[in-house]
Amino acid sequence: MDFSSADRYPSVGGEFGKKVIPGRTMKRTTASRNSTANAKEDILSRSRFYRTIPIPGIVVLSLIFLLPLTFTLSRGFIDDQGKFSVAAIVSDFTSPYTLRIMAFTLVQAFVSTFVSLLIGLPGAYLMATYRFPGKKIIRAICTIPFVLPTILVVLGFVIFYGNNGLLNRALMRLFSLKEPPIKLLYSFTAVILAHAFYNFPIALNLVSSFWEHMDVRCEQAAATMGAKRGRIFRTITLPRLMPAIISAASLIFLFCFTSFAIILVLGGGPQFTTIEVEIYRRARMSMDVGGAASLSLFSILITCLLLLWYSATQRALARQESFSTMAPALEKKPATRLGRFLAILYSVLAAAFVLAPLVSVVIRSFMAPVSRAGGESFSLKWYRQLFGFSAATGHMGTAADAIVHSLSIAAVVALVTIPIALTVAASVRRSRTVSSTLLELLVMLPMAVSSVIIGLGYYLIASRLGGRDIGFLLVVLAHMVIATPFVLRTVLPEYRKIPATYSQAAMTLGATPARTFWSIEVPLLRTSLVTGAMFAFAISMGEINATLTLADSKLTTLPLVMYRLINAYNYQGACALGTILILVCAIVFIGGELLKRNRHGR
Amino acid sequence: MADERQQDDEHTIETVQKQHVHAPWLVCSDIEASYPEFRLNLDFTVLQGEMVSIIGPSGCGKSTTLQLISGLMEPDGGTIRLGDEDITHKPVWERNIGLVFQDYALFPHLNVSQNIAYSLKLQRVPKNDRRQRVASLLALVGLEGYQKRKTGELSGGERQRIALARALASNPRLLLLDEPLSALDAQLRKHLRKEIRRIHEETGITTIYVTHDQEEALSLSDRILVMHDGNAEQLATPQQVYQRPGTLFAATFMGDGTVLPYEIIPKTLVSAEAGSTAFVFRQTVGEHQVFFRPENVLVHDDPSLAFPEFLPHLRFVDARILDCEYQGSRYLMECEWNGKRILAASEDKPKRSLVTLGVRLSELVEYIDGIIVDHI
Repeated sequence: MDFSSADRYPSVGGEFGKKVIPGRTMKRTTASRNSTANAKEDILSRSRFYRTIPIPGIVVLSLIFLLPLTFTLSRGFIDDQGKFSVAAIVSDFTSPYTLRIMAFTLVQAFVSTFVSLLIGLPGAYLMATYRFPGKKIIRAICTIPFVLPTILVVLGFVIFYGNNGLLNRALMRLFSLKEPPIKLLYSFTAVILAHAFYNFPIALNLVSSFWEHMDVRCEQAAATMGAKRGRIFRTITLPRLMPAIISAASLIFLFCFTSFAIILVLGGGPQFTTIEVEIYRRARMSMDVGGAASLSLFSILITCLLLLWYSATQRALARQESFSTMAPALEKKPATRLGRFLAILYSVLAAAFVLAPLVSVVIRSFMAPVSRAGGESFSLKWYRQLFGFSAATGHMGTAADAIVHSLSIAAVVALVTIPIALTVAASVRRSRTVSSTLLELLVMLPMAVSSVIIGLGYYLIASRLGGRDIGFLLVVLAHMVIATPFVLRTVLPEYRKIPATYSQAAMTLGATPARTFWSIEVPLLRTSLVTGAMFAFAISMGEINATLTLADSKLTTLPLVMYRLINAYNYQGACALGTILILVCAIVFIGGELLKRNRHGR
Repeated sequence: MADERQQDDEHTIETVQKQHVHAPWLVCSDIEASYPEFRLNLDFTVLQGEMVSIIGPSGCGKSTTLQLISGLMEPDGGTIRLGDEDITHKPVWERNIGLVFQDYALFPHLNVSQNIAYSLKLQRVPKNDRRQRVASLLALVGLEGYQKRKTGELSGGERQRIALARALASNPRLLLLDEPLSALDAQLRKHLRKEIRRIHEETGITTIYVTHDQEEALSLSDRILVMHDGNAEQLATPQQVYQRPGTLFAATFMGDGTVLPYEIIPKTLVSAEAGSTAFVFRQTVGEHQVFFRPENVLVHDDPSLAFPEFLPHLRFVDARILDCEYQGSRYLMECEWNGKRILAASEDKPKRSLVTLGVRLSELVEYIDGIIVDHI
């Protein structure tokens, strides 16, 4: 994923504001370049084609997003007798039980953000300052958590850090202990650690990519004025980095605030319940839909505030960058011995942190007890069981079904999301009118609503429609809502990078706007479209929050079956399924990379 | 200021030699484009087969003019005619006007041949004809055999030529060049400037060339349109624009020169025959000024010798040289005389800092309120 947030384009100042006095040494300033093109809404954005092209996508998006949201929220205001009432909301915001949940949600998000930054920022420093062997690899490894399905992380944590997990077993064998030394699971620490696992790469990537492109001449200037290294860092570098750090922190906070599966499984009980989990519990376990809906209101309120805050920090970042991007990024200095040591140490630790849970999932899936006495050896037993070659899968349905379901849902989601994001991006990218800003906001809005709430909305729709077999359709729609903002975030920056002159050139050569779109813009966007499709596919493939909230027992997807297996303490089965999930994700990403590369090796 | 009647004989001969019909081809009548802080208002005509440069400082509306003609922008008023057709409201993709962009805008996902053939493909030209046309265009711009190259592998100059070839592929009715050489280094610019002129002459296509480089405009074009603040200052041959600039703005923009009040003439006029009738002072309303180029100033640095000018001239005795800049072929001096600044050029470095300057009466161009007075 491109964390460099390249979709921020400081607009060029108007050329016509200042009068140029003709002189003997008249030189053009680069700032005035092409600003005539931006002075008015260009012919392309005004053409009928570009005005109409986003309409289908917008209609579909509004329907599939606003409809479930309306269902959810309206239920918050309706009491048991079906009358309008704010009693549920009032009682929610006053009862100590819900207040405690809200407080815990905020506290855990805060601590998680802090820990993520603590792990990520040193890495950002090392990445930004030094060149060292294996830097690319560690970069790649650090992006893995971001695309990893939550349920896999959860499983990985259980398998690796659990009382009977690989880490404890190794330590027990190594120091011949009787008791597992690390009792991490089902505790606050486990939740925080899992969140850190998930989110430290955000801090690492966002901050380091900003840091890398930061003009070092400010630091050099400070050094020429006699500032020492520590002082330079404190007075120059850190203040300049602050917007990037705050931006990363607010994003992490948002993700941790709406975290669901990790809390549900690793939190292990009502003691560690967050708003999202409580919404799910009320809706699906205590059948208190009204209560779930009124809690959703609170959640949306907070996430909206967070998102506003986040976009404000993004703007601050953009402003600052517009002053500092003028200089090309300087060549990184080769690491000093200490720097190299630290960099490699960090890389090894980070790689172990990221890879250990995943690797242990794969290892566990191939291990089976040889005899009752203990001892394990390589076996395909769990795979055989899953695919129904031998009995004992019980009510879970066969894994093969779940795989087929997940793959087809993900494929549909990717295929449908791409045209929606592409067409919306086509009309949003250049014009700076109010309507296009609103449009961009609408498409980003699903990010402000947690996927559990979207799932809840579809659950309500399903129960209203009753009995009809539309479970899969609803899952697809929910996944589309969740995936679209991410895909748009991938496509839009690339779209904005296409110089306006390309389309203009095509038109002067006789291409209609529609032809320009298909023959110039779409081919140029191919790479980002493939990336977007990969993300949509991966998001859908691993989505559990909305799916679990809306699904009935008949519906199976890979993460759902994994969750059910974990709940039934069938960890090896879950591991086998998890390994398949890892494999599918890996194939999709490798395939995507190949697809991006083959035609014109850019 | 657009006045075709100002064309001199020399130019007429040249166009006849090129065997082009000397008829109006592009007629921009009173076209307007309004912005909050800028208003463009133009009225000019380009003749068939002609190469016209548009020159002016940044933000004067040069590029906007090209956008209006090409159809990338719609004017708020006025009409644009091309040939016998009113194209004011014709969509850009139906105009068949070639435009070469400042950044060339070559499509990075297509190779050289695909780039050039883009318009041909849109016109459904058969594949074989396309191939031939691409080959002949590449020959025209001097890049034979470049068909399969990727645009990313090309140098700046090569990109510029490919962009030109692409714009010419559909036999456009008009070719627009938007500062096509501004991204290249000085040596290459000079070379490509000649190439562009050659290609213009070979194809005979009516061309408008936007530039901010005076030298480029002077050397390249049949006529030059000087723009300032969204308005045309002068449209005339390079010689006229340089020697008899239509406005004071054009005068100072197209090279160095000195502006002095008209009253300076009776104060400094020296005539060989006393009581000469060569000059009659005229009382006028408005700011009356005279302008002359530094190379028309005679620099006399040896008071022991007689002043070597016998025709009626202005003489500035004991001007002080404030600054002397060596420019390779000449020395450009900034002098001070009675509180006035005068620019003078000389091949030799003056030996003293006090010199006497002379400029012939016939070399003066007169302006009232910045606009040329046509009677001297």
